[in-house]
Amino acid sequence: MSQTLATYNIKGGVGKTSAAANLAYLAAAGGARTLLWDLDPQGASTFLFRIRPHVKGGGGKLVRGKSNVAKRIKGTDHERLDLLPADFSYRHMDLALDAAKKPTRRLKRVLAPIATDYDYVFLDCPPSISLVSESVFEAADALLVPVIPATLSSRTYEQLRGVVAAEASGGPKVLAFFSMLDRRKVLHRDVVEQLPREHPGLLRTAIPTAADVERMGLHRTVLEEFAPRGRAARAYRDLWSEIGERLDDGAG
Amino acid sequence: MAAGAEYLLPEGLDLGSADTLFAGRLEVEGERVRAGRRTFYDTFDGRLHAKGLVLVHEELRFALREGARERAGLAHPEKAPERLAVDDLPEGPLRAALAPLCGVRALQATASVRGRRRLLRVLDGERKTVVRLVAEEATLSHNGSGPGVTLRPRLHVEPVRGYAKDLKRVRGTLERDLGLVAATEPLHDEAVSRAGGAPGGVSSKVALASAPDLRADRAAAELATRLVAVIEANLPGTLAEIDSEFLHDLRVAVRRTRSLQRELRSVFPPAPLVHFRAEFRWLQQATGPTRDLDVYLDELEGSADLAPLRAVLAEHRVRERAAMMRALRSPRTQRLLEEWSTFVRRMPDAPRAGRDDALRPIAAVAAERIARVYKRLVRMGAAIDEASAPEALHDLRKKGKELRYLLEFFAPLFPEPAVGPMVTSLKALQDTLGRFQDREVQAGLLRRLSDEVAQREGGGAALMAMGVLAQRLDRDRARARAEFAARFGAFAAPGQRARVRETFR
Repeated sequence: MSQTLATYNIKGGVGKTSAAANLAYLAAAGGARTLLWDLDPQGASTFLFRIRPHVKGGGGKLVRGKSNVAKRIKGTDHERLDLLPADFSYRHMDLALDAAKKPTRRLKRVLAPIATDYDYVFLDCPPSISLVSESVFEAADALLVPVIPATLSSRTYEQLRGVVAAEASGGPKVLAFFSMLDRRKVLHRDVVEQLPREHPGLLRTAIPTAADVERMGLHRTVLEEFAPRGRAARAYRDLWSEIGERLDDGAG
Repeated sequence: MAAGAEYLLPEGLDLGSADTLFAGRLEVEGERVRAGRRTFYDTFDGRLHAKGLVLVHEELRFALREGARERAGLAHPEKAPERLAVDDLPEGPLRAALAPLCGVRALQATASVRGRRRLLRVLDGERKTVVRLVAEEATLSHNGSGPGVTLRPRLHVEPVRGYAKDLKRVRGTLERDLGLVAATEPLHDEAVSRAGGAPGGVSSKVALASAPDLRADRAAAELATRLVAVIEANLPGTLAEIDSEFLHDLRVAVRRTRSLQRELRSVFPPAPLVHFRAEFRWLQQATGPTRDLDVYLDELEGSADLAPLRAVLAEHRVRERAAMMRALRSPRTQRLLEEWSTFVRRMPDAPRAGRDDALRPIAAVAAERIARVYKRLVRMGAAIDEASAPEALHDLRKKGKELRYLLEFFAPLFPEPAVGPMVTSLKALQDTLGRFQDREVQAGLLRRLSDEVAQREGGGAALMAMGVLAQRLDRDRARARAEFAARFGAFAAPGQRARVRETFR
């Protein structure tokens, strides 16, 4: 059975897609059969892997179980890494879910037939709290939560833990990490110092803000392919190995 | 998903400039040439091959592939091993995928190639890879010294999921515009063949391949020769203890040989046959105890209380196995196989005295034997009632095996609709009889070993557990005994009997 990992945050522009794409790549490069499902209607992951943002029949059919998920999957340029593309119709996914029976179980159901084909399934989620996110909480074994070190990040993190705890009993682990960290900023340094004291469950690895990450869109590929020696690529490697340890040790 | 393919490349093509082959026809981006070794694995009887799977060790990992798609993988940062037991693999996707396929069979390296490969990506307008081409030149590695065998250079076409149209287009270009010819077998099969192996593995099944009007003695000689080949093929694996199936298959071939000797005795010269029957009987007895203990240890449950019993059984097995190894390595075994082979090869020229059926067509002789053994089985079974001794069921089972082997040898000579149902009902009957006997033997063994187990540390708890186990075996045996009437009823049903009369006359 596969493990499902969702990059998630209530806020947008915090490095979710970058994390999903780079971590999924690392999983596949490490030998695991990996699927990345781009749930964001903007289709940034899909774009990064040079795949056409189109799902035959649209997202509605997919979540209602009216469309064969296995046939919608595309192979990327990388061995063992497949992608389920985004589609602009995903912006209506909330409505589609709302119309479906047991809406919060839908994503899990869609993934069930391909669960044995993959060791990891990454969900790259749109920012929000909605039926889509509830459905993600049901499907995921862990949420990978990028947090920008800012005044409100502690509150955001607490909010999220609260939501997950309220939504799903035996819900996913919440694995949060600092993203877009700029060590030149005093505020960033302070938060990075302070927050782990309040929340010992935070991951140790932080992803720095780096030009390399921004250039991913230009190169249309993951960091390992064009800047493997950069700080950002190194940080994702550390992050992936830390996530591996946390998934193994059972604690939430 | 659309299938990949392998094409032969022109000899002497430089991998470094292989992309120029496609200039103007396909948008291709070539990566650098990589050198490495690949080692392929399968069970002795080719279980992976039968499912269209390939297990390969390359770049310090194992990959189980179905075509170009990887079903499961495992990092293995060491040299490729000669042999791989599924039970020794760490828990994970590879072990989970292999365990149901291999059962007790170990995986063995079937061939190893050293080669150079170059990945050529076919790109679309977005410069996305839509098909992978891998140009490869490979040389078969030998275990010893000497020059390797060079295999024909190939171009592997590996589909990318979700790009079936592009795959079709690329294959069209390769075939029509470049005139490449598809390879008749995949590279790993060619490697296995050239290394002297059989890509599909070695089968232990033996059935007559000749026409129904072949002389009966020649047919017997053909079967006997193939059975010796099975024994010889399984001997090295038995001696090296690669997995327990080698010994099992070896024993089945010995038993089939004995059935052939008994059932077709009217085609063999009588005096030498007496000697060979005695010798094969000896060979079967020499291998029996080890096999029994293999089965017992395999079936024994994992409860901790039974550890002393397991230890006692394992010690017995070590002793029995040593005795068996001596027998199998002895000149007596070697002589037996050689002399028996020579004897059956020369049989058609032997004097006719005492072998009345030798010149008759095999189909007629086989039909007679099958009809007679079936009739005898029906008579024996009908005489069994609630009060019959266990020996009556054991004898019936032995006779049933004779019939089973006759049917397997000669199935190709008779219509499947007649043979099929007979085999099915016979199998069901034999399963029941087998369980009845095995449980009795196993319960007996438990009782015999109780003194020895009692003296071990933890012996008290083990004896309790053995008592429970013996009780369960007795219950299972009683269940099998109760099933017998229904199973036998199906086997000896009037419809079945009519079919036998009709088919085997």
